[in-house]
Amino acid sequence: MAELRIENLAKTFKGGFQALSGISFDVADREAVFLLGPSGAGKTTTLRLVAGLELPSEGRITIDGKDVSGWQPRERNLAMVYDKHSLFPHMTVFENLAYPLRNRKLKDAEIRSRIGTVTETLQVSELLERYPSQLSGGQMQRVAIGRALVREANVYLLDEPISHLDAKLRARMRVEFKRLQRDYRATMLYVSHDQLEAMTMADRIVLINQGRVEQIAPPQELFDRPETLFAATFVGEPSMNVFEARLLQQDGGFGLSLGKSRIALDRDWFATGEPISPDRAYLAGIRPQHVTLADAGATGVNVVHGTVFAVETLGSRIIFDIEAEGTVVRVLTSTDTGRQYSHEIGTPIAFRVAPELIYLFEAQTGRTVRQAQFTDPAGQLENGFAPQGARRQ
Amino acid sequence: MTKSHTLMVSPDAPPVQRNWWAYVIILIICVFNFLPYLYVVMTGFMDATTSNRPEPQWFFTPTLEAFRFLLFDKNLMHNFRNSLVVSLSATFLSVTLGMFCAYAIARFDFGGRDDVSFWVLTNRMMPPVAVLIPIFVTFQTLRLLDTLTGLIILYTAMQLPFVVWMLTGYFRDIPRRYEESAMVDGDTWFQAFRKVTLPLMMPSITATAIFVMILSWNEYVFALFLTSTGARTMPPAIVAYSIGANISWNVLGAAVVLITAPLILFVLIVQRQLISGLSQGTLRK
Repeated sequence: MAELRIENLAKTFKGGFQALSGISFDVADREAVFLLGPSGAGKTTTLRLVAGLELPSEGRITIDGKDVSGWQPRERNLAMVYDKHSLFPHMTVFENLAYPLRNRKLKDAEIRSRIGTVTETLQVSELLERYPSQLSGGQMQRVAIGRALVREANVYLLDEPISHLDAKLRARMRVEFKRLQRDYRATMLYVSHDQLEAMTMADRIVLINQGRVEQIAPPQELFDRPETLFAATFVGEPSMNVFEARLLQQDGGFGLSLGKSRIALDRDWFATGEPISPDRAYLAGIRPQHVTLADAGATGVNVVHGTVFAVETLGSRIIFDIEAEGTVVRVLTSTDTGRQYSHEIGTPIAFRVAPELIYLFEAQTGRTVRQAQFTDPAGQLENGFAPQGARRQ
Repeated sequence: MTKSHTLMVSPDAPPVQRNWWAYVIILIICVFNFLPYLYVVMTGFMDATTSNRPEPQWFFTPTLEAFRFLLFDKNLMHNFRNSLVVSLSATFLSVTLGMFCAYAIARFDFGGRDDVSFWVLTNRMMPPVAVLIPIFVTFQTLRLLDTLTGLIILYTAMQLPFVVWMLTGYFRDIPRRYEESAMVDGDTWFQAFRKVTLPLMMPSITATAIFVMILSWNEYVFALFLTSTGARTMPPAIVAYSIGANISWNVLGAAVVLITAPLILFVLIVQRQLISGLSQGTLRK
């Protein structure tokens, strides 16, 4: 087990494509850190640099304080699992599992006992004589994970190991992974584009976009306190509503105008923190679970009128997409509440915004200038889709 | 209830049509193709007078006269040995060298890679006979005329482009990740190549080797011009022994048997390995 530190890592490929520019983060001993981001963000490149399959253009990679940036992959003692093509097709499952052990010149009895333990944990003991082509997708990935676990690697690198499995199996593997990581006390760097995987399994998430780190935070903090507009919109499903924030002064207080409607903002919240200049453009964001439906006839402050644009039924929840003031706002509501409103497209409807749950972003830089006001995330987000209890222990 | 139950069951695949006439056609083609060869083989077992008759002879007393003539009077075994040494060496060298070359083209991104791979192909574009005289002069200068070494070098050079082009495609089909996994698991680059990529390539390499072996074994023109007696291989030797003032058909027939039999044997042996390799590897893209 070991500690991994990445400092100012940059990678420019031949032809000038800059995949990474100045990435820094660290993975503590026995920690599960997730690299999360859209495809093409540079997640896999980061992983390949750590593994030594590519050499960095700039920056340092240290494992337990030793600079390994120029080392060969085999000298780094890492284990890696790919999304596919991890297993050698010309070898049986047993030989595949034994491969890294034979390279380390272990005795046959030792190899056998280690493989026995791992295959039992992963429930693939009866597959040892088969070839990879005779395995199902789930079995293949289990064996691939087993091949990483049979030896004591410094860091386990996982490149979307369960992304290609079907949804049901993926859900089960997520839970198993979490347990395995605890049982094996593994230091883990995991690449994923699936926020659900990252939210459920990570101790900390490194959010990457276009070769840069957007934010590094534990899952719940990333959800509650996004530091950038990208972090706010990428994490959370359905994603955050963002609209142009026209700030106005009213009755000695501050507010946002959304077409004809006004949203009153808390005075202290607005006044504390970096000054908000009326010359700059700002964006306001609110999560779909912090907006509630209202009758088309409702009046008053914080109420916005619009028409039904689309209705997405999720079974346990209903999402109303409401077209209002030139934008489409998504409202996440319970099935019972949703039933009380017409689902027909074009019907007039209104929604009420919870002003204390609004985020404010600077439009040009995408920085968050005001976080939502809640102090107790668990209490406020009961309605939300954010996985509870995924916080770092 | 019954209705919904039947809906759950996927329909059977349509029954496979057994086209008996397809087999008849295949049989006719086989017989058609095989008959001339059969007759040539039969000629090899005739005596000189029988084989020279203008009308076909289906019934005759078999004799080993022609074989005796070739093997003992003309010492064809000497040519056989030459052929064997030259083709096996040329096959081994061209496949080994070509394999590394193909691997480099398939895996490494170096400047002028496409030019190199196109240049390799251009070597096969002109007819070999066009360079016969320059090669003859080169061989003369280098004292390679009538030597096995000379033929081996020439055949290796001739087969390399083919090997490189065939194997480049096959290497590209093998995901790089296999090698990378092996390297992360503790192999050097060469160990990963030897233990992972090479076994996966074995069926393709075998197929290429068979082809190269056949081409080298049957090469006639260069062997005729560049060798006299010492290094003469089977094809020119056989022509020399059977076609003089008149054609000795029975000698030609015996020669055909002697030249094709080892090849058929070789292909049969290697093919078994090829098929087992194919069924074991089962690559998924």
